[in-house]
Amino acid sequence: MSKANKCGLFFTSYEQEAQLFPSKFQKICLGLFLITLCLCPYLLDTYIISLFNLIFIAVIGAVSLNLLTGCCGQISLGHGAFIGVGAYATGYLMQLGLSFWLALPMAGLITAAVGMIFGIPSLRLKGIYLAIATLAAQIILEYIFLHWEGVTGGSNGLPVDSPQIFGFFLDNDISMFYLLFSFAVITTLAVSNLLRTKPGRAFVAIRDFYLSAEIMGINLFAYKLMAFGVSSFFAGLAGGLWATYSMYITPEQFGIGLSISYLAMIIIGGMGSVLGSIMGAVFITLLPEGLSWISGSLSNVFPDISTYLLGLKEGVFGLILILFLIFEPEGLVHRWRLIKAYWKLYPFAH
Amino acid sequence: MNRFMRMLIVLTIFSLTFSGVGLAKEIKIGLLSDLSGPTSTVGRPYAQGVKDCAKYLNSQGGIAGQKIKLIQVDYAYNAQQAISAYKKFVTRDKIVAMQGWGTADTEALTRFVARDKIPTFSASYSAHLTDPKKAPYNFFIAADYSTQLRAALKYFKEHWTESRAPRLAFVYPDHPYGLAPIPAGKEFAKQLGYEIVGEENVSLKAIDATTQLLNLKKKNPDYVWIGGTSPSTAVIMKDAQKLNFKPTFFANIWGADENLIKLAGTACENQYSLQAAAIYGQDVPGMKIIKELTQNQPQMTHYIRGFASMLVMAEGIKRAAAKGKITGPAIKEALETLRDYDPMGLTPPISYYPDDHRPNLSVFIYQIKNGKLTFVSAQSLPRKKEWLGK
Repeated sequence: MSKANKCGLFFTSYEQEAQLFPSKFQKICLGLFLITLCLCPYLLDTYIISLFNLIFIAVIGAVSLNLLTGCCGQISLGHGAFIGVGAYATGYLMQLGLSFWLALPMAGLITAAVGMIFGIPSLRLKGIYLAIATLAAQIILEYIFLHWEGVTGGSNGLPVDSPQIFGFFLDNDISMFYLLFSFAVITTLAVSNLLRTKPGRAFVAIRDFYLSAEIMGINLFAYKLMAFGVSSFFAGLAGGLWATYSMYITPEQFGIGLSISYLAMIIIGGMGSVLGSIMGAVFITLLPEGLSWISGSLSNVFPDISTYLLGLKEGVFGLILILFLIFEPEGLVHRWRLIKAYWKLYPFAH
Repeated sequence: MNRFMRMLIVLTIFSLTFSGVGLAKEIKIGLLSDLSGPTSTVGRPYAQGVKDCAKYLNSQGGIAGQKIKLIQVDYAYNAQQAISAYKKFVTRDKIVAMQGWGTADTEALTRFVARDKIPTFSASYSAHLTDPKKAPYNFFIAADYSTQLRAALKYFKEHWTESRAPRLAFVYPDHPYGLAPIPAGKEFAKQLGYEIVGEENVSLKAIDATTQLLNLKKKNPDYVWIGGTSPSTAVIMKDAQKLNFKPTFFANIWGADENLIKLAGTACENQYSLQAAAIYGQDVPGMKIIKELTQNQPQMTHYIRGFASMLVMAEGIKRAAAKGKITGPAIKEALETLRDYDPMGLTPPISYYPDDHRPNLSVFIYQIKNGKLTFVSAQSLPRKKEWLGK
């Protein structure tokens, strides 16, 4: 490891190098960032706060999918349905009278169990074959959401109550902001830490080449299942939070479209990177808003064709995804690293 | 990249300059439309109907001297985008009411609109939205899916001449929209003395329904209810024609429209369509206005439902304004005083009650004759308490 690479940081042990935030500057920046985020509800209007809320939920979902797909190499097209399992489990357990604080972790565990069941084929299948197997999970779970009426409410959907703490209902955007923010931070830290542990390294080894991982003594099946379990646990949390935030869930909300948008998040953000998942979640959640804003503004100028301009949005969305894959295949996080590297040596070029 | 950035900045400044806020007092209404998502083929004409109605009302001087301002957002049939659009409507635009669209958005927003007290009209006609205990701020202008099915069953039973029980089968997608009226339909069919002989699933995206229809053909039903959208209905009818299977088909509100005739050709001849609004050119008082607005360009029946939906909402706002303030709760209350309000003949008369948001229990039955939707009958059911929300 060249010292120039770290530019001023000189590690003398592996522990030091493996720190999440190796420099004081990073810690201060992160602290300031978190404090600014905490102050946001006092500075911004409810609409922006509601976007933050959607982003926090997306961050939890994206980080969990990135753990499975980006870090362990197990592609999943069923993540939307796993989020649905968490949502329905939370809703149902709360209807049974459990408090949100019990229902949510239990929903996470239920989703983990479901995820592990659908992860079993991952021992034999990989790549596109596993994608199809997880797609099957998506279809089966959607069927269950629609037909297990006693639990899911069937086609009528399931009303979910807002979380309650010390007798207060967290039923507005600002209170939900803090709840979702805390869960997003916890998830991010948990997954970042997991990646530094033995299982985390095993995941990466399996992703890079399963055969060498096995030769090194990694139990492929156990670790793959663990990746499915942990990833689904966090997906379940994301689902439970979505259910309590939107207060009404129907099978339509957890379709294949949701799975694909989570995949898009981790591809655009950067596979295998926690920071990338966050960037992707922010990008994909805000993109429709940005496009809406542009098309809405343009329709003020051209009122007669406003319907067509508004409808252009999905097309532009697709185009942006394609452009990303062509020009930034390693994701937003790659661009971020390049920017950091540039400033590290500024004003000297390389 | 630099050029792109420059273009973006120019575009931003340009749009900011032109997005000036009107100074006159306006009644702001959110319009949530699917213009680019999976239901956009019917979402576009519906949204256009809503917009044209607002244009018409504004040309008549607006409501209580205030113009209606529709703020349209395309949410692409995505619940998450619907929620963020809704938040923008409420916090930024300060809307007093909303015109929604499909199941995905209406249900995701049911509890939000109840909490924020925003009366919401939608084109998702699930029966459970008519129960004010569960959805106090939700309204729509068509009979719910279950009522439509019941009314059609009643109509066909009344016109049944043979001594044996008529045989009935259901074909629908395994989808919330397709499944919603099935339990109600089965129960009522049994009460009326139908013999239910079969049930098959045909997906909304199906390109072939031969297997399902071969199964049904063996059971020889007299009537087959289709609960799909027009593309899937066209597949079913064309395959039935191919198999020489000739029951009387009757399709739910989204299953048979002007597109079906283009898609299915002769296969849909003489089949029935259940609708809740007039079709373009039908001899009703409101059609003259619509013809003027659209310059005699025929529109789909969904356009007319959009138009009627805005008209009924406007009536609620007008009544609220007459009583005092135009606010969400006032509009809701005013709407609940509507008794047999006639939206210029475009839909059957509409009434809402504080404990019952079923607009009516009537369905327009159309038959496709010579490639045209032809009005057959307006069928009504009594307003029974036990059917509310089911």
